[in-house]
Amino acid sequence: MRHHYWELPIYVYLFLGGLGGGIMFLSMIFSLFMFPGVTAVVETLWLPMLVAVGCLGLGCFFLVFELGQPFAFLGVFLKSTSIICWGARFLTVAMISAILWLVCYIPLDMLAGLAEAIRPSATLWMVLAGCCGFAIMVYTGVMLSTLKAHSFWATPALPALFTVSALSTACAGIMLAAGIHPNGGLMQNLLAAEAIKEIVHMADIVLVIAELTILLVMILSFLGAGNKTQNKVAHRWVHGSYAPAFWGGMICCGLVIPEILNIFGSGVATHIVAPVLVLCGGLLLRALCIFSDDRAEIPGENIYFNRLKKKGEAEFLTRWDYAGENEY
Amino acid sequence: MARMCMVIDKRRCIGCHSCTVACRTWNQLPIDIVYNPVLSEGTQGKFPNVHRTWTPMLCQHCAKPACVPACPTGASKQDADGTVWIEYKKCMACKVCVNACPYGMRDQSKFEPRLHQFIRKCTFCRDRREYEGDYAKSTYCVDTCHQKARVFGDLDDPNSEVHKLVNRVKTTRIFENLNTEPQIYYIDDMGGAL
Repeated sequence: MRHHYWELPIYVYLFLGGLGGGIMFLSMIFSLFMFPGVTAVVETLWLPMLVAVGCLGLGCFFLVFELGQPFAFLGVFLKSTSIICWGARFLTVAMISAILWLVCYIPLDMLAGLAEAIRPSATLWMVLAGCCGFAIMVYTGVMLSTLKAHSFWATPALPALFTVSALSTACAGIMLAAGIHPNGGLMQNLLAAEAIKEIVHMADIVLVIAELTILLVMILSFLGAGNKTQNKVAHRWVHGSYAPAFWGGMICCGLVIPEILNIFGSGVATHIVAPVLVLCGGLLLRALCIFSDDRAEIPGENIYFNRLKKKGEAEFLTRWDYAGENEY
Repeated sequence: MARMCMVIDKRRCIGCHSCTVACRTWNQLPIDIVYNPVLSEGTQGKFPNVHRTWTPMLCQHCAKPACVPACPTGASKQDADGTVWIEYKKCMACKVCVNACPYGMRDQSKFEPRLHQFIRKCTFCRDRREYEGDYAKSTYCVDTCHQKARVFGDLDDPNSEVHKLVNRVKTTRIFENLNTEPQIYYIDDMGGAL
């Protein structure tokens, strides 16, 4: 039975959370492990980090917007048994750390004094942002997989799929934003940007194949051997109402075409078209997963809850006012 | 320690929906919220051997609820006697508990004003049981059921009716395989599990 409560803001939040967290994690890898102490790399990654902070901020806005009582949001940090609580903590630490790291290297003369003052701790902020970014990437999938009422979500494959997809979209985000900086025209910055883009380009080729593999294995195993609920959802994906979005949107446009462009293409095709398609595919993946919210049916439930719709009384319900007044 | 539970005898239920109406009245629910749906798959069998069964549903007040640990603000609570309830002021309506509940017994009204929405569910008439007045210390759906299909009480009390029923009659629980230990016991009319 469909158990549909989460709408567009939630899957946009999951997408932006994965994207932002992934960019922070990859930025940490580049700046601390692959090119430690190289200023040109830091300047190359400055805009991607700003994009990551923007993504997380926008994602949080969507999340809070979806809430019924947004002012009760402050209580979200309190209960450690809830996976959402940990997500909120990681989001907060990641955003604050990333903002402080951005300030360390901000290309504005008026803030140069402040940047100089906190620059000695830049590595600490990057480590915090990167580690929390990784946690956010993983958390988006783990959150869904802990909801065991929904068989399609409660599977170990989903966190793996979401994490790989987050890394893939993060590569696409870095490809689009890396190198855009006031000092971007300097030779060392151009070289750093090229090096980073080449690495994320190669990484994305591998990640897209991994994502495609996990996705197909998950869906086809549900189709062949899943329980009744998983089987029903998998049917919807493979040859039901979601089939055009799954095969056409996600598999073809979101994974296969970008992969072909990444392997055989060059220039705009590799640097703009492929990353944009990967980002669209990532968003579509979250949307389809959130809409696959079926749970095991209790006998008679569908008849009971669909009765009003069948009798055409939905209009009567929607005209009912909360205060008890109605138009009839 | 008390452990509140309910036994529902499906052999006695005639699908009159009195419990649904009573619950809606006591809790003053918005029109799109039902805590107590009475489900039926319709008429089963072939004439002349036909029968129809009803499954009164409500929050299962699980001993190990999936909804309570999932709630990030601590609005979903469980009393010492096992009653699962929501502190509305703390609830931010993130709907994680709604998605965590395998029984679909939590809901949010679409008719409440924006920014003042919260998740609702059956509380085993917690307010009614705590009221120091003339009300019986039971739930309103149990008191209303003229077929006496519902019995409410403390499972740990050896003298309670629910204790005797659970220990003497074959009962089933819904989705027992999920290990949430639901505290609503059903006496099936035809035997077998849901």
